[in-house]
Amino acid sequence: MIVCVAVVGHQNNPLYLQSFTEADDALKLHHIVHCSLDVIEERVNNPKKSGPTLNETFLGLLYPTENYKVYGYLTNSKVKFILVTTDLDVRDADVRNFFRWFHSAYVDAVSNPFHLPGKKITSKTFASRISTLVKSFGSTAPA
Amino acid sequence: MMDPMRSLLGRVLLEEITPVVMVLSTPLAEEACRKNGLNFVEMLLPFSVFNKIDVPVRTASDQPYRLQMFKLRLVYASDIRQQDYKVAENHLKQLVSDAANAALSDLQSELPQLETILSETELNFSPSWIQTFNKELRKSVSFSEHEAFDHPVACLFVVSSNDAQPINRFVDLFNTDQLPSLLNDGVMDPKILKQYLLLHENHDGTMDRATGILAEMKSTFGSIDCRLLCINSSDGGDGELKDNPWLNVKAHLSASHEIGSFLNIDDLIEIKEFMQELSSKHIIPYMEQKIRFLNQQVSATRKGFRNQIKNLWWRKGKEDAPETTSGQMYTFSSMESQIRVLGDYAFILRDYELALSNYRLLSTDYKLDKAWKRYAGVQEMMGLAYFMLDQSRKDSETCMETAFNTYLKLVPSAQRNATRCGLWWAEILKARGQYKEAAGIYFRISSEEPPLHAAVMLEQASYSYLFSRPTMLRKYGFHLILAGNRYYVSDQRPHALRTYRNALLVYGGIPWNFILDHVHYNIGRWYAFVGVFDVSVKHMLEILACSHQSATTQDLFLGNFFETVENMGKIFEVNKLQLPVVNMSSIQVIYEDHRTYASFADLNVNENLWKSLEEEMVPLASTIKSNWLESQSRLSLKKYDDSHVCVVGEAIKLDIEFRNPLQIPISVFSLSLICDICEKSKETKIDGGTSSFGFNDIEELKEAPSCRSRIGDVSNLVLSEFDLVLGGGEAKRIQLDATPKIEGVLKVLGVRWKLSELVVGYHYFEPNTKMKHKKGKRVARNSSGGILNFIVIKGLPKLEGCIHNLPGTTFAGDFRLLRMELRNQSEYSVKNMRMAISHPRFLSPGNLEDFNMDFPCYLEKQKFSKSMEAPANAQKFKNLLFYFPNDVTIEGGATFYWPLWFHASFSGKISLYLSVYYEIESCSSDMIYRTLRMHYDLEVLPSLDLSIHIAPCPSKLQEFLMRMDIMNRTSTESFSMQQLSCVGDELGISRLPANETISPLKVLHAGQALSCFFKLKDCSKSFEYETGLAFHGKDEKLDAQGNGKVLIDVSRSPFLEFHQQERYHQGKTAEGGISNIDFILISELHDSSSTGLHPSILSFHACHCSITNEIPLWWLMEGPRVMSHDFSVSFCEIDLELTICNCLNAEVSIRIITNDFMPETKLSDYLISDSNTNQGGWHNVSLANDIKEISNVQGVQSEKLSSSSSQSISPFIWCAASSTSVKMQPSSTAKVPLRICIFSPGTFDLSSYELHWNVQSSSPSDKGRPGDDAMRSSSGMSQGHPFYLTVMQSH
Repeated sequence: MIVCVAVVGHQNNPLYLQSFTEADDALKLHHIVHCSLDVIEERVNNPKKSGPTLNETFLGLLYPTENYKVYGYLTNSKVKFILVTTDLDVRDADVRNFFRWFHSAYVDAVSNPFHLPGKKITSKTFASRISTLVKSFGSTAPA
Repeated sequence: MMDPMRSLLGRVLLEEITPVVMVLSTPLAEEACRKNGLNFVEMLLPFSVFNKIDVPVRTASDQPYRLQMFKLRLVYASDIRQQDYKVAENHLKQLVSDAANAALSDLQSELPQLETILSETELNFSPSWIQTFNKELRKSVSFSEHEAFDHPVACLFVVSSNDAQPINRFVDLFNTDQLPSLLNDGVMDPKILKQYLLLHENHDGTMDRATGILAEMKSTFGSIDCRLLCINSSDGGDGELKDNPWLNVKAHLSASHEIGSFLNIDDLIEIKEFMQELSSKHIIPYMEQKIRFLNQQVSATRKGFRNQIKNLWWRKGKEDAPETTSGQMYTFSSMESQIRVLGDYAFILRDYELALSNYRLLSTDYKLDKAWKRYAGVQEMMGLAYFMLDQSRKDSETCMETAFNTYLKLVPSAQRNATRCGLWWAEILKARGQYKEAAGIYFRISSEEPPLHAAVMLEQASYSYLFSRPTMLRKYGFHLILAGNRYYVSDQRPHALRTYRNALLVYGGIPWNFILDHVHYNIGRWYAFVGVFDVSVKHMLEILACSHQSATTQDLFLGNFFETVENMGKIFEVNKLQLPVVNMSSIQVIYEDHRTYASFADLNVNENLWKSLEEEMVPLASTIKSNWLESQSRLSLKKYDDSHVCVVGEAIKLDIEFRNPLQIPISVFSLSLICDICEKSKETKIDGGTSSFGFNDIEELKEAPSCRSRIGDVSNLVLSEFDLVLGGGEAKRIQLDATPKIEGVLKVLGVRWKLSELVVGYHYFEPNTKMKHKKGKRVARNSSGGILNFIVIKGLPKLEGCIHNLPGTTFAGDFRLLRMELRNQSEYSVKNMRMAISHPRFLSPGNLEDFNMDFPCYLEKQKFSKSMEAPANAQKFKNLLFYFPNDVTIEGGATFYWPLWFHASFSGKISLYLSVYYEIESCSSDMIYRTLRMHYDLEVLPSLDLSIHIAPCPSKLQEFLMRMDIMNRTSTESFSMQQLSCVGDELGISRLPANETISPLKVLHAGQALSCFFKLKDCSKSFEYETGLAFHGKDEKLDAQGNGKVLIDVSRSPFLEFHQQERYHQGKTAEGGISNIDFILISELHDSSSTGLHPSILSFHACHCSITNEIPLWWLMEGPRVMSHDFSVSFCEIDLELTICNCLNAEVSIRIITNDFMPETKLSDYLISDSNTNQGGWHNVSLANDIKEISNVQGVQSEKLSSSSSQSISPFIWCAASSTSVKMQPSSTAKVPLRICIFSPGTFDLSSYELHWNVQSSSPSDKGRPGDDAMRSSSGMSQGHPFYLTVMQSH
């Protein structure tokens, strides 16, 4: 189950953070997402020699905490998408797909002429799209 | 092999994995030591470390090597056991708590900069007690049964020389019941090296007894193992030891009893020598020996292929044995234990290769035996050995990982071992610079440990992140927060506070509000807990305006804040308190100097608008200065230029917006301004010292308002106070007043409010904030920045005013009488009143008598209406300046009314501005005049559209046909027409047909249009002879029913003025030339009950109606129509007159050309040369010859006639000049006499003449209006009108 998705701007400012848990653990998830920025930074600054890292947006598993797995995705405009999940065996392809849909939802949201770049995403459409994405995570394709 | 001293771990290992010497001492021996404030072990402690022992060592191999650093661990026998868990726990807790006190004192200091931290090394940065904590944590698992390096190598028996029967005492000490359980249980070899020490106190007496006993000991226990140690040679008193070695070792010992006071330098040397000998002559050789012995054994039984097979087979057999039996399975004599001892001894003596090979051997055995704890222990040692050898990083890590994981599987029994192993592991990683991995290890340890330990581990993890490359600051912060949380859970708030504070370094200023709020909130809470309330409140303030949090969280934060402030116990003043948020850009300052306002809405009017309105009414500022005759007091105004002026007793209003950022409602009390007032006497030198004055203000602004001493006299200044409740997210505009009561200088500095009884917020207006200032022009130059300084001057009268019954919405044309009320609340009277009106089309001041009349009846047409004189030419059409009569003064406390006529002249949204100027009677003040500004907005709805079309009457020169089109533009209202008046004396109006009643005219319903026709008659003097026609007047009553209504005199006062205005304004937009024909239509709202509007009379003005025609002139031929003449006598001569009117506003030259033949059709071309066609209009054959005779006056004409002589000849000829030129002035009339000769009786059409006209566009006024001329051609030709003349033969 996905517990949290987040969009972080290129100055590491939170643009969107939504948790999908019942419990009141927003603070914890904030911390986890915030921490994962360290890992993203590390990944970006020391790219692995192997593999086609150029233009690769998917960062893969950032780090496993005791209960969560954190995945990251970095757009070319240095906006980061972060996914926190409790599933222990997640297929990489699923995550990749998820991020791809997430990215397109984000692009649509920021293409809104009323959206202020660098400000929090308040679009309700975006939120609902993300929540359907999250719900359908793991299945083949989102609705 | 690396130098172990280079890394922290190496040093730690050299210190911690050292031979243990078990100490057994008698009470008397202990007592002797206690005189120095030490026990025996403590006494020897400083001397158990040898930095340069330089002993040659030879272990299993033949190659000897030298040991440099060496350490002995002296432990009482009673302490050689695994520590009780609880005790260990308490011990650790105490350690942390001790450090907490240090942390507390640290909390007062400023936080270092992040950069300086990053440049530090880890050892310097992380608190030193953490290393101690680690050490103690590791110690708590020492003396375990599965490891051998904690097993005592030697045993030291200590007996005092004062003991009775010392030899027996030595024997007694080694009683099995006193020995530690490890030895008794058979885990450890009880046959260990024994050393016997006789402790002698020198001041107790002679050495004789001691030497005697020593001799006895030597004979009993062997001469090598016995020694005598003399202590307490000094007789106490002052400490003569220069550098007390215990001071640095045992710093935490109580200093009350002076340490080592009975020991002199000789004693120290002796102790040192004893220890040196003990280690180098006894312990190390003993260990060497044991290693060699054990190594031989191991080689014999385990090395070699045969042994291995055997061992394997043997172990296989035990496979079914339960795993839990590991405890008792291996005694000291078992092979495995022996190998372990061999390995550990080798490790202690730093023969890591030997140790490693044995550990390796052992680990496979234990693994096969499933003795997991032992297996893990061996793996752990292997890892350390690998590290010390510095050969294979990978190997050491895998060993540590195996050990750690194996330990973890055995939780809880081996949990602490896992921790120790983890600590080693982390240190190994750190020693290699793998900080990030080390942090991970710390984190793993923390999840297994109780909260307090976990906290320390997490803190170490955070430091590891901080010092990892690249620095992982966010993880550093996160782990600090986690650590702080654990500290808090385990009741170590100072530590929690410390970690959070450090975390703030990372989190400070990041946009992650939830995290930041959490940190600030907890820091605030914990500061409050440790009693540092001011800092606590400071942090609490950071989170007050947390609009992003949920309502409950906001409530919690706010509640905590109040609680903290309450605990602080004093009024807490906060600069820029965020509850509520002051919208600085919303500030509007409203004050009245010589400009006063009738209502609040008037303030929003642009100042320039007022200025232009008052331009002529108000004396110019420059005249005040330039004229030396002006009184001194006025001159004094000049120096106040930089400040604003306000009046004693009149409030300065500050309009400011407060917004509640929270979702929960907050209540704010005692909202008021912060002001300073200085009496006039102090400020006499103000013009010289304004700048320094300003600087003081800046200084003062740093203080809290309560610190400001100058607010002393409450009677000098009255400040309004507001209480308000702001709902969640609500913003309110508040108007705050400050009313000065004395003359002087008033400074408005800021606002303050109370959030609770104890929390006072204040907000100074900062110089750089752009203030939207109502009195814009002088603000920017204020010497003290944006601080609002006001010169308070003496009390002045102030008029208040309003206009009664001015409608908000009305119909165009509405005409009514309004009442302006002016109240003078002061005790002085005012005089010299003037009034400026922005829209004289809408408002016109009346006369006082107007009130006494009954409107509209008084406007009825009087029989003897005296003609009103035209208003003065000076009247302005843009702004109307009205002078009240000179005798008008308003006494103090009086109320004054003045009539105003209102006429809604056009539709739309109209803002009416009025400004009343008045001077102060007793002119002793700085200000001589004031103005009262009033402003009204009204909406005028369209009602009736009036358009008038006048055409000249073709038959009469003085009469015109007029068509009036009225359209009702409203959607609901009906209007009834009352009267149509023609303004001026020149024209009269009558209905067409004259006596018919026009019934639909009475009421014009919504949306309907109506046209009606009238006849206009010029009744000016020049046409006096025409008055024979029935003509009634210039007003025409449209209401045919005539139900008692009377005609209204439009030439009376209000109509007259409004009409002037209308004329002026419509004249500007009129298309045609200016003409004097104006009409006023008066109508009534038919059914006024349907709406709330009650205009009684509506008047519409149509001005500058011109007589429309295609050509600029019209003319009339006058003359007899029927004549009788005796043609037998002579031909008939008839005089005619052509009256030509020029209705153009330009000079026109006219040429009248008479033709004796008639062109049949209208010529397409107006040129004269083409006009002679061969077709005559008149077929009556007449005498062609006579034409020649008569009309030969002009050559041109004769030529023409000759050319036309062949054509048909008209029966009459024009006499006199056939072509007459007339130059006509604009709007003038000219008469041209004509004569005709008729030769035979008949009826003739005398239309055979042409008027050629040419507009002389020479006058500049015409050039300015090309549009008018473009409508008409500049020149042209018109045919004559038909004029039939019948001439009869008279007999």
